[in-house]
Formats: sequence, structure tokens, C-alpha cells
Amino acid sequence: MSFPKKPGKALDILKNLPRITLANLRPEPGSIKADKRLGRGQHGGNRSGRGHKGQRQRGNRPRLGFEGGHTPFYLSIPKYGYNEGHSLRPQYQPLSLKRLQYLIDLGRVDPSQPIDLTQLVNSRGITIQPLKRDYGVQLVDEGADIFAAKINIEVQRASEGAIAAIERNGGVITTGFYDPISLGILIKPVPFFLRGQPIPKRMLPGQDMVPFYTDAENRGYLADPEKIQQARLALAQKYGYILPDISKDELYHMLAMRKDVRQIFFGLAPGWVVNMSEKKILKPTDEKLLKYYRS
Amino acid sequence: MAASIVCGRTSMFFRSLNEISCSKTLLSANAQTLLLQTASYNPKPLRLKLREPYIPDRSSEKTPDWQKTPRYDRKLFGRYGSASGIEPASLWPNHEQLERIIEDENQWHPPLEVTLKNLQEKERQDTEKRLAKEKLIAANMAKMPKMIADWRKEKRQTKTKMNEEKSRRSKLLAEARESLGQTLDPRNHKFLEMVAELEKEEKTKQKLMKKKQKHEQQAAAAPPPPPAAAP
Repeated sequence: MSFPKKPGKALDILKNLPRITLANLRPEPGSIKADKRLGRGQHGGNRSGRGHKGQRQRGNRPRLGFEGGHTPFYLSIPKYGYNEGHSLRPQYQPLSLKRLQYLIDLGRVDPSQPIDLTQLVNSRGITIQPLKRDYGVQLVDEGADIFAAKINIEVQRASEGAIAAIERNGGVITTGFYDPISLGILIKPVPFFLRGQPIPKRMLPGQDMVPFYTDAENRGYLADPEKIQQARLALAQKYGYILPDISKDELYHMLAMRKDVRQIFFGLAPGWVVNMSEKKILKPTDEKLLKYYRS
Repeated sequence: MAASIVCGRTSMFFRSLNEISCSKTLLSANAQTLLLQTASYNPKPLRLKLREPYIPDRSSEKTPDWQKTPRYDRKLFGRYGSASGIEPASLWPNHEQLERIIEDENQWHPPLEVTLKNLQEKERQDTEKRLAKEKLIAANMAKMPKMIADWRKEKRQTKTKMNEEKSRRSKLLAEARESLGQTLDPRNHKFLEMVAELEKEEKTKQKLMKKKQKHEQQAAAAPPPPPAAAP
């Protein structure tokens, strides 16, 4: 941010200083650390910091965790199923409201358009790794007291405090499910379009997650809209704020934009092929294909 | 857009002085001039390299097999579009492939109604099991006082029986000692003979007593029933 004031003495001084050359420049103190050069001189030479004889100097120390022969600590503790099935547990990358506010303030995320996981990843606000059992992003309460932005956001999970904070500011929050393939396409759309495949349908959640996404408390995308409205009112009463009326808002059309259950991108339907080089969209005309992609 | 948000936040700052969310420079900006620049993230440009397309020769033998597969064709189309010379209709699955896809989907991804029905079924079964278990527990708990009382009675009876046995044996031993003049071992055959004789006598006595009782009962039962049956 620049604040133009009347040019003062500083500018005069700057104008009279000599030109910048290599002789006038110096790196920031603490930025360049000197190399460690062994075997040179009084301090780097002789034993070169390796100690006196034995395994230490000769580089023959046993493996990490070895304790001389008795059962080491990491083997004496019995196993318990803490990590059992860890590769089958869905993980959700946390996104705090503080970070979201930071991104909006810096202009990296545009609140005048619906905020999606694609937008968050494009702004490098969050990193999702679908191959590491990430199933999306979850909104976390931290920063709920400083959050002040009216947005239409779609995440995969959200805590109650986060939902309250967003709705308090007149925004809309939805939780939606993306299966791993759809998630990979969502976070990196351009590489997907370069593959030349038609946009697939988004799959429905499995039996374990259907109760979560049909619940109005979690603002699930499969829930009843009336129940969601009731839940909004109940939450407003619980957290003690007046629920702003969205229908009278000027951005009502944007805030009411929601994706279809089978849709991955806004404005693109499953079955279409997007071509980046010619900037064209190809749509299928075969009835069976259309029936499949619309089901 | 970001400016309006920032103004909103500065007003919040005025309201609650505890928040340190806004910096001082924004305050001064609001006070003096509304010259706020919007920063935006400038990502690195996408260097897609779409200018000189290399399209492999399908007919020659030198091109490797993987460059003749439909997957590679789709990638070529995705990168170069119509310049790749690939029929766009081949990007979508043909009818057989589509049927197979639909079959797989019906098997592995059932529609929402089916999942909801399964969930309801599971819930119903769980509640049924739970109710049955609770019923069983309640019924057994209702029986408990009686069972406790029975068990206590049993214990008391066995205890008294044991005491009786003990006292009987000691009496018999004392009698035997008196009659024979020496302390006998209970396992001794003389003692056992004496015990058997005594038991026989007792049995005959008891039989006689029972017979007497029966006669008395019959005599007592005969007169009362006729007067009772008459009215």
C-alpha cells in the first residue's frame, strides 16, 4: 500500500548518494551462513570435529535406536492398534477462518464469486493431496471472532463455530462430498483438461458418510433445504446473533449458487470435454451417453 | 472488493479495541485518503507448450505401441485439439464400454435411495437387538430377588443339615463309647453295625408314626368334606 505524501528530505539524500555497485552492496546479516570446511587449519583440521578414536571417529556407530544390546525402547513397548487401518481413514486438511480472512484480504480469494476448493488451491491457500487419503478441506473455528466476509463457500467438513461465523456475516456454507477421482480433477483442473477425457460424474458418498451429508446441522448438500433454514435459525439462537436475511441481499444470486449433486465444476456438466488449446467445449449428442451422464 | 472488506474490518476495529486484526497503516489510510490498492496472487504462467505438436505416425512400425493407444490419442487431442487429427467422437466410451461402465456403477455405487434404505434397515436391526437385550435383562432382574432368597435358603438348609449330621455322629460316638467302653473310630465295623441297627429301629418307628398319622387324617378328612360339599 503506498501513501503519497509531500517528498521530504529522505528523497534529497537518496538523490545525492553514489550509484549502487557491487562495492556498495552487502547481504542481510544472518542470511548467508559460512560453510563448514573440515580438514583445513587449526580449528577445522586434526580430528575434524569427529572426536577421539572409536566408533564415533571411524563412522561405525550402530543404527538409530540401538541401545547396546538390551531390548531398545522402541521394541519394548507393546503394539496397539492406534494406526490400524490408517490408510482407510479419510483425512480433511484444516482451513482456519483466520487464514481464509487473510486470503480474502490479500485479494487471493474473490468473495464476490462462490468459493470452491479449486479457488482455494489456485490461490495456494491450501494444499490437498488426494493420494494421501485427503478427501478435501475442513473449516476450523480459529479466527471466528475476527472473521468478517460475506461468502458462498463449499467445503467438505465444517465445525459448528465456523458455520456460525460464516452465517453471522450473511454468507452461505455448504458441505459437499467429492470422491477421490473427482477431488483430483477439482484441485488440478487444467492438467485434467489436457488429458482429453470427458468430465466424469461426481460419485455419491458411501454408506458411512451419507448420514453426515444428509444432516442439516452440517449443511450437507443432500439435506432438505427447509431443514437447513431451520438449522440456520437454531444456530443463530444458540450463538446469539441475528440471522441476516440473504434473500434481500444484492448478491443473493451469487450466494444461492449451488452445485448439482453430480457436478464437479460450476458451469460445466459431466460428459463435456474441455479443450484448452482451441478454447472449445465439446458435448456428446448420443442419447445413451446423455442418459448416463444425466443420471 | 477487497477494499470494501478492509473498510468493514476497520469499522469492526473501531468497535472492539481489543482486536489487533487491522494494522495502523490501514487506519491512517482510511482517515486520510481512500487510496487502497488491491493485491492479488500472481501465479507463475502456465507454459503449456502447445505450439509445435508432435503427432506420431500411426502406420509406421517404429512408433512405440503406447503411442498408438486410445489413451494417448485422448492426450493428444487434449493438448492440440483438432490439429492432432483425432476424431472427437472417440473420446467418449462406445456402447459396449458404456454398458460395462453402467454395470460397474450399479454394483459399486448404488443410488441414494438404496443406501438410505440399507441404513434404515441397519438401524432397525440395531434397535431391535438392543430392545431384545434390554428386555432379557429386565426379565432376569425381576427374577433376581426370588433367586437370591432361594439361594440363601439353600445355604441355610445345607448348613443346618451339616450341623445336624455332626451332632448325630457325635451322639452316636458317645453312645458307642458308653456301650463298648472305648472310643471307637467311626470307620470301625462294630461302630458301623451299631449305627445300622439304630437306623433300622428308627425307620420302623417312623413307619409306625406315619401310619398313625394317616389314619388320623382320614378320620379327620371324612367328616368335614360332606358338610362342606352340601352348601
